[in-house]
Amino acid sequence: MITVKNITKTYGRKQNAFVAIDNLSFQIPSRTTVAILGKSGSGKSTLMHAMSGLDRPEKGKVIIDGKDILTLKARDVDAFRANKMSFIFQSFFIQANESCFDNVSLPLEIAKVPRSKRRAKVEAALAAVELSDKKKSRARDLSGGQKQRLAIARAIVNEPEIIFADEPTGNLDSVTGEVVEDFLFQYARDKGATLIIVTHDPDLAGKCDARIEIQDGTISKMTGLPTKGKK
Amino acid sequence: MRTTDIIRRAGRSLRQAKTRTLLTSLAIGVGAFTITISLAGGQGGRDYADAIVNSNTDVRELVVTKESEDTGAIAEYNPDAPQVTGPAGASPFGDSIEFLGLDDLESIAEIDAVTDVTPNYSPAVDYVTTEGEKKYRATVSTFSPGVSLEYAAGGVNDDLADGEIILSEDYAKALGFSTPADAIGEVVQIGATKQRTLFSVPQTEEFSFTVRGVSSESGLAFRSQGSLLVTQQATKDLYEFVSEGSPNYNRFIVASVRVAEPGQAEEVKTILEEDGYTAQTAADLLGTVNTFINVLLGILLGFGALAVLTSIFGIVNTQYISVLERTQQIGLMKALGMSQADVGKLFTFEAAWIGFSGGAIGAGLAVIGGTIANPYISEALGLGDIYLLIFTPGQVLGVVIGLILISIVAGIMPARKASKLDPIEALRTE
Repeated sequence: MITVKNITKTYGRKQNAFVAIDNLSFQIPSRTTVAILGKSGSGKSTLMHAMSGLDRPEKGKVIIDGKDILTLKARDVDAFRANKMSFIFQSFFIQANESCFDNVSLPLEIAKVPRSKRRAKVEAALAAVELSDKKKSRARDLSGGQKQRLAIARAIVNEPEIIFADEPTGNLDSVTGEVVEDFLFQYARDKGATLIIVTHDPDLAGKCDARIEIQDGTISKMTGLPTKGKK
Repeated sequence: MRTTDIIRRAGRSLRQAKTRTLLTSLAIGVGAFTITISLAGGQGGRDYADAIVNSNTDVRELVVTKESEDTGAIAEYNPDAPQVTGPAGASPFGDSIEFLGLDDLESIAEIDAVTDVTPNYSPAVDYVTTEGEKKYRATVSTFSPGVSLEYAAGGVNDDLADGEIILSEDYAKALGFSTPADAIGEVVQIGATKQRTLFSVPQTEEFSFTVRGVSSESGLAFRSQGSLLVTQQATKDLYEFVSEGSPNYNRFIVASVRVAEPGQAEEVKTILEEDGYTAQTAADLLGTVNTFINVLLGILLGFGALAVLTSIFGIVNTQYISVLERTQQIGLMKALGMSQADVGKLFTFEAAWIGFSGGAIGAGLAVIGGTIANPYISEALGLGDIYLLIFTPGQVLGVVIGLILISIVAGIMPARKASKLDPIEALRTE
């Protein structure tokens, strides 16, 4: 369960102040797939950063598993992200010079998983995205779709409870995009993870259980979510 | 993140930028090379000096002279004080010199721990010869059992008899022995003239000695080269013959004092100096030589340090560029939950790896190059089988570790920059 309460994030100061997200509140039950929709500049990325503890809004609470992650110490937020969350980005952010294995191994290393246990996990994650044969290949030699699948393997290797995907198919053609989407949804379904997809693609949003539409920093429309937290 | 994983990732990052890493490492390598060579040279120099001093002096021996009252001021003439007068009318030791008389020797002998006081007789003998050969100028010195000699033939083990002599290789050759071994057991004669006194006529006598050993030309010995070694008693007999009745009879410039244990040399020196003598131990002599070596070493080390200093900026630059290049990677690692401290460590270890490879390359080349060059250096300087560059594992290891530490310090600034990067900003870069 993720509870977002009255979060506000402002960029800049005084006259130049720009309210990116303004007093947002909602609740996402566990095992839900949610699309955060909005035009660029609407504040959807800022919302994702706030929910993952990467950014610190001035006001509000983000309560995950009963803990307000915005009040945690930096070290604890890091540990939280390492163990419970993961990310998928539009432009993959895989390490082109490293092997696929090392790319996928990174979150496990950060989460201090002992070396002996890493191999099996990495291999399982690569198998899940059908990249087992590329284990030793350099990431740069992969195609765009393969790169994003590699990013998914990296995102799921430590079996996170929450996956944030920022325009996961934005750089892919529709066919490969769909393959990538299927892997994401499959993981969420199999492991009962919460999947939060930031997108402006209505088709992708349509595959999610719930949708939050953001416009100019506020929620313009919300479907499929409990209304308790809604303001 | 586990430190071992960070170290492995740091090493991998560097391998992905091989050329840059190698070039930065080479800059440190130059410093490492210079420092390793100078440390080896210093070590070799000190060992060499040590060996020289040990071959020519004894750690249980002190060289004692009487402290001159002369403080640089013009001394008053004292008709009773015997004067040493050199060929040019001046004493080689200064205007006046205090002699050690028999009473001095007795009082020194009374000091605890002193086992033996021997004046330096240095009898002024005229020549050495053997049957059928020419006469050669020679000096005679006392053989000291504590001094290690190298022998070309024969040898003495603390048991030189009064009628025996040790020749140097040069003398053996000059005296017509085709090999040093031929000289062993042969008899040589030392000619000496009784010093002319007012009422005596010149009287020359020859003393016979059996050759017991031939000292080899060693890179270490300077005492054995020009002089013939006989026992203390033999030197004394020669001295008595030459000097008896002369004004300087039983007045000595230098005496050697033996103590029971090597450790007592220093304390005896203190006592002697309180009593108005000047004493020099083997350690003092070594100290003088070592000071000289250390100054040279310091200059070389300075150059090495300068090279290292220059390379520090290389590391800072390399790492700084690396941080800028990998902004996105740093952002990702932070998003995945890597702590600031760990990101800082990653870059610190990269700097450490650069330091390590630079140190290893430089020190390694120094050891390999030095080991190859050693025989040639020794040949060029005529040191025989003594090597001037001595590499000790501790020093080489110290250089490498020192450079790793310096590199870590150089990496602090870039590592801080990396750790402070805002992940959101970093991930926006593409």
